[in-house]
Amino acid sequence: MAAPVCLEYRIEGNDFMVAGAASNNIKNTLKMLGISSSVCTRVAIIAYEAEINLVIHGGGGVLKAEITEDRVKLTAEDEGPGIADIEKAMTEGFSTATEYAREMGFGAGMGLPNIKKNSDEFNIESEVGKGTRLYSTVFFNKQ
Amino acid sequence: MTIGEICGFLGGEVQCTGDPGREITGAIAGDLLSFIMGAAKEGSLWITIQAHLNVAAVAVLKDLPLIIIASGRRAPDDLTERCASENIAVLSVPQSMYEVCAELARRGLNG
Repeated sequence: MAAPVCLEYRIEGNDFMVAGAASNNIKNTLKMLGISSSVCTRVAIIAYEAEINLVIHGGGGVLKAEITEDRVKLTAEDEGPGIADIEKAMTEGFSTATEYAREMGFGAGMGLPNIKKNSDEFNIESEVGKGTRLYSTVFFNKQ
Repeated sequence: MTIGEICGFLGGEVQCTGDPGREITGAIAGDLLSFIMGAAKEGSLWITIQAHLNVAAVAVLKDLPLIIIASGRRAPDDLTERCASENIAVLSVPQSMYEVCAELARRGLNG
């Protein structure tokens, strides 16, 4: 693969019904590039959870996927309320999702832990009142 | 066991036929989407009472070829349309999730 493939999606806040479209697009692009299905699934999980977080918590934002020779780097960026306590947010079962989101099966407090578990490299930066940036990298040759 | 066989013995309404000849290799039940995203194995069927568009998103991303919607709930049109375009079968049944799980286990389908 010569030039990197860059995909960028604007995700609208609170629009639950379109969530998954960007993740599916990223997964299909990786599949077309011949990336193994186990890696495609891991990236799909990361992308979907990040997308849902942008919808539920971030008030919308941008999801990017940069695909190079040996890795895909995902970035999710929003200008939402930010996360006061990242350690708490990373704890399985902790969620600040609304009642409505929970009724739809979101807000299990598993999104960020799912992302971390499926990433080879993971980082999250957040500032209250300013927004959140999430970085996740998956290498193609690692299983 | 195939999707067609499962739809046959569970009864209910096939809202989307998907690929009736496809073999189902496992099963998972749950209503928390992130749990299913994390825990479901590809090729499994998924039993849930959630019936909205994001169910299709999870099924597509995890390659779950049969969604069983339990307790008399039905998939809305946007969900069946999305599943049809992705070749995912949707079966809505009056039985509870527990009853569906029990019946599938009795017939030899393991999680």
